[in-house]
Amino acid sequence: MKHAKTLMRTTAVAALVAASPAMVFADTREVVTVVKVTGENWFTRMEEGVVAFGEQNDTINARQVGPGRADAAQQVAIVQDLVAQGVDALAIVPMDPSTLEGVLRRARQQGITVITHEAETLENTDINMEAFDNTEFGAHLNSKLAECMGAEGQWTTFVGSVGSLTHMQWAEGGIAHAEANHPGMELVSPFNESFNDANNAYELAREILRTYPDIRGFQGGSAIDVIGIGRAIEEAGLEDSTCVTGIGLPQDTGQFLDSGAVTAIAFWDPKDAGFVMNRLVELALNGEEVTDGMDLGVPGYESVSVTDGPGDGIIVRGQAWVDVDASNWNDFPF
Amino acid sequence: MRYLRPDIQLLGLVVINAAILIAAYQIIGARFLSPFNLQSMAGQVPEIGLLALGVTLAMIAGRGGIDLSGIALANLSGICAYLILGPFGDSGFSGTGYLLALMALSVSFGLAGGIVNGVIIGYLGVTSIIATLGTQLLFTGIAVALTGGSAQTLGFIPELDDFANEPVAGMPLSVWLFLGVALCVAAWLRLTRSGQQLYLMGSNVKAARFAGIPSKALLLKVYMIAGAMAGVAGVIIAARTSSLKWDYGTSYVLVAILVAVMAGVRPEGGHGRVICVVLAACALQLLTSFFNFLALSNFLRDFAWGVLLLAFLAVMRVDLSGYWPLRPARDGPD
Repeated sequence: MKHAKTLMRTTAVAALVAASPAMVFADTREVVTVVKVTGENWFTRMEEGVVAFGEQNDTINARQVGPGRADAAQQVAIVQDLVAQGVDALAIVPMDPSTLEGVLRRARQQGITVITHEAETLENTDINMEAFDNTEFGAHLNSKLAECMGAEGQWTTFVGSVGSLTHMQWAEGGIAHAEANHPGMELVSPFNESFNDANNAYELAREILRTYPDIRGFQGGSAIDVIGIGRAIEEAGLEDSTCVTGIGLPQDTGQFLDSGAVTAIAFWDPKDAGFVMNRLVELALNGEEVTDGMDLGVPGYESVSVTDGPGDGIIVRGQAWVDVDASNWNDFPF
Repeated sequence: MRYLRPDIQLLGLVVINAAILIAAYQIIGARFLSPFNLQSMAGQVPEIGLLALGVTLAMIAGRGGIDLSGIALANLSGICAYLILGPFGDSGFSGTGYLLALMALSVSFGLAGGIVNGVIIGYLGVTSIIATLGTQLLFTGIAVALTGGSAQTLGFIPELDDFANEPVAGMPLSVWLFLGVALCVAAWLRLTRSGQQLYLMGSNVKAARFAGIPSKALLLKVYMIAGAMAGVAGVIIAARTSSLKWDYGTSYVLVAILVAVMAGVRPEGGHGRVICVVLAACALQLLTSFFNFLALSNFLRDFAWGVLLLAFLAVMRVDLSGYWPLRPARDGPD
């Protein structure tokens, strides 16, 4: 009995010691950025922005987490645990927006501020941030592709998954652009799913090259699609006769841009996106309203447009895309 | 008489659960044991627990039995049930009625999928790992074809949301349902003739056949039960995420097997207890949430799961029964 009491006392003291750091920094607000998957360069770069924001702000403790595997269920589980922890705000890049509706509704009921990125259809969010208008971006990628193909021949589109809303919007924006402007372009086997895996993209591209030997153009959706497609094209020795455009990271895609396997890429800087999401969190936590034309202090987000979202939240859009080809990829350090 | 010897697996799992809880309490503090977090963690167990129970039954049946199609069938059942019922607003049901109708339909589709598995494995004699890999692709394919690959959004239905989240007597209804299902499966295994026959068949298929145990019908029954549980899991997924999608929880296939093996279910058949499966699922959830609270990388979690799996497999290889004094010594030439 006596031992049991001593044990309980020790436990209580240990618990107090463990809990005390949290008390010292009681006014720091806990803001967690949840990405689709950890370990992909895109989200590693995003983490730089999150960390940079945290360093500039003493009142916000910013960090980034994400599932080890790209599975919506694992992301839901992480968000649920964060809600249970009682963080102050969540900045989320959803794997699949609709799977998060339930848990985000409860998060907001608990008073947690929710900022999302790449989730225009999500209802249960305070602010959804987009780097640009997705349909316009898809059309832009497609016009680059058409320029290279001479607006003639077979082409196809890749997406991370058909559930990834932005990827679908880019693909559909590209397809609409081609249909309206380039009747010579023939779309074959659209919406190939790479599941955000360069090896899958590579295998798919090889299959497509076998099925459609005359194919001239590829439009990538996931940031690693162009890498996989580029590798397949290099192996087939088709650098000169095919064109590849898509979203991608300069350092990852550089060797393929040099060899000509990938024609051109465009991207928005995930570092800026991570930074801006946390900046929006700060504004929301401070009760400040985001207004049309507001300057968020990051290039490309100097005059954001604000529209109503599908729920009671708003959508904030920048103009933050960057074109990269063989001539300038080395200017970017990521 | 059977349980005179202590069940080392059961004891070990209780110790592991307690150890994680104590470690979490020491490091994170009372926050981890708050009712809200306990409910949140419990709410995450049923999905994986139901699938693990399905795998468990398949494993007990022997012949290297396994069910890889669980999560695919769960997603398909939920999707089919939703497509038949239609959106909540148009269905004319009350919230509770809608939930019950969704459950009834989803379980029926789960049963139908289970019959497909059972017929292929039991009556056509195909190895279960091959058969369920095939049906997994089949179920996934049907789900993609029915939905065009996009998520089916249910919207906010209070009764459905409450089912998975609102605590009744301490735990969400979905958790009570899971425990009820587990209890039924345990009772079936322990108390009924066919349950006992399943253990015997798993121990020695050939002997079971010559002893007149109806192996084919028994296998059909096993996969039907597994399918019905997948159907229940489908509704729980729908309730937790307010949506249904074909690729939700793709990582669950392996996690369900991990849970079953952790629970001491022998892959070679004839051995396994339901309570151990429930405890193993709880231990895995506690560990996952603990890691999420500590903000550790999710790769570390995968690593920890892998270590756990190997550790449990290794422990199972050590046969302690030889050291048990009650066992009569056997002499005579070997």
